[in-house]
Amino acid sequence: MSPRGWWRRSGHRGLVLLATVYCLFPIYFVLVQSLKTAEEDIFGNPFIVLHPTLENFEELFVPRGEPRGFVGTALRRAYPFFVWLENTIVVFAGTVVLTLGAAVAAAYALGRLRPPGFRWWRRVIFATYVIPQTILFVPLYHVVNALGLDDNLLVLVLVYPTTALPFCVWMLSAYFQHLPREIEEAALIEGAGRATAFFRIILPLSRPVLVAAGIFTLGTIASDFTLASVFLLSDINQTIPAGLGTMDVALDELLAVAGINLMAIPIVAISACFARGYVRGLTAAMLEGA
Amino acid sequence: MSSRARVTARRRREVGLAYLLLAPTLLLLGGVLAYPLGWEVWTSFTSLSPRQEGGTAFVGLENYRRHLEDPQFWIAATVTVVHAVVTTVAKLALGLGFALLLARPFRGRALVFLAVFLPWAYPASVSVIGWYWTLSPPITTAYSVFMGTLKYAVDGALGTGAWAFLSVTLFNIWRGSSFIGVLLLAGINAVPPELFEYATLESKSAWQRFWVVTVPLLRPFLALGVFLSLTTGFADLANVWMLTAGRIVFPIIGTHAYWLAIKAGEFGSASALSLMLVPFLLAALLVLFRLFDPPEREAA
Repeated sequence: MSPRGWWRRSGHRGLVLLATVYCLFPIYFVLVQSLKTAEEDIFGNPFIVLHPTLENFEELFVPRGEPRGFVGTALRRAYPFFVWLENTIVVFAGTVVLTLGAAVAAAYALGRLRPPGFRWWRRVIFATYVIPQTILFVPLYHVVNALGLDDNLLVLVLVYPTTALPFCVWMLSAYFQHLPREIEEAALIEGAGRATAFFRIILPLSRPVLVAAGIFTLGTIASDFTLASVFLLSDINQTIPAGLGTMDVALDELLAVAGINLMAIPIVAISACFARGYVRGLTAAMLEGA
Repeated sequence: MSSRARVTARRRREVGLAYLLLAPTLLLLGGVLAYPLGWEVWTSFTSLSPRQEGGTAFVGLENYRRHLEDPQFWIAATVTVVHAVVTTVAKLALGLGFALLLARPFRGRALVFLAVFLPWAYPASVSVIGWYWTLSPPITTAYSVFMGTLKYAVDGALGTGAWAFLSVTLFNIWRGSSFIGVLLLAGINAVPPELFEYATLESKSAWQRFWVVTVPLLRPFLALGVFLSLTTGFADLANVWMLTAGRIVFPIIGTHAYWLAIKAGEFGSASALSLMLVPFLLAALLVLFRLFDPPEREAA
């Protein structure tokens, strides 16, 4: 091998290694902390765990109301983690279903039926991203209170789609728009209705793009901490992020870290399973010049 | 019925169906955003505050004027702009690096791709908690002395809160570069390879190829990435502000507006402050639309 080729290959490998470490290190670090005993957390090496234990994870599931012992004179209270987990699943599943349903319908309208001014509709929907989220939850609270929905999981299911819908509509409508007209027309000519043609032909074709939209939605709503902690007040109504935010980190650092991992691992696993589909879907939507 | 009449009738039905299908999205977006946005705009023209005596008055542009005359506002505005520019450029540079690294096959590419994808997939709502408490740890941990020293060194040099601000910004870049990397990788896949190959023949050096071929071909995806980075760049700081119950006041417009609304109760002033970013974001969006949503070529 020529020396130049050798340098190039080592350089490439070095960069790949660097990128991998940069991406994975924070995730690794948080995982390692959660496997430590309190003793090792204080005296051990921060980067490795010598005596891994699952006690922090087990402690998350200590039933509510039972004390977990003391640190000094401070009582360590038990958290309803299992309820948080259930709430999180309900909110996330509900949001993804609602977002995908609404996005597919709107995207079909904009990409295939093309009502007058469809391009402007698309742009206006996308432009809702410029509305600053900062103090929007203050007036939003008026609406939520008027509807009697405060401290209710349904609020998040209704509010979360706004953070993911514009991009999903954008992506799906770009994809639908690029599908050749003949695909549907063949079915329509054979006497099938529009709905049949959509469910039998268009929807199966667009599976990768639906996956991409779903993963985007999941990733987006899983990054929200603010709305969840503003709208969900009592601890049995909280999702995991809102609940973990109320933990006393000085007392329960390891418990909080375990909670972080317990939320992250399933989401990472789901995303990892669909990661290739995610890229394929984004690519499919972007073909022919965005 | 003539065939033309039948076609127009069919078209009318299609348009009706289109509006019906658009309705859920418009209801969701409008239902959640319309009233709050209207309230915010109206409030920004009033003196609304629970501390105000004798009712809320319409004050016109007074809130805006007061911000513009406040040196604090200009500091916050500068930091906000610098923060947005620096994080966006960093995310684009790193993301482009990841995408180019992953564009060509090599052994273990699937695993490296997964590693690049994970920072974004890892739920930021909880990872920001982990990140924050790792960098400002409770005193019982093995690394708290080291982190504490670092924190006081940075805060001592740049002012209180600098360490928290910088660390959350780094977190934001870590996460955003992953998203943009994957987005650009998808973009590279969407460009026909012949286009890359043809253009490569035309260019002399790798550096020239990068600027003359890669960047222009990826421009729509870069533009999309820039826009999403600008609109989401603030979210992590907001999360930390909420997490610490507003203990840390970052000198940026977003959290300054939080502080005004929640701690000071000055809703009018806070509304005005958070709306002042909108014209700039809207202008950026209009420019970027030209790049990632070009007018359709006819007969495509």
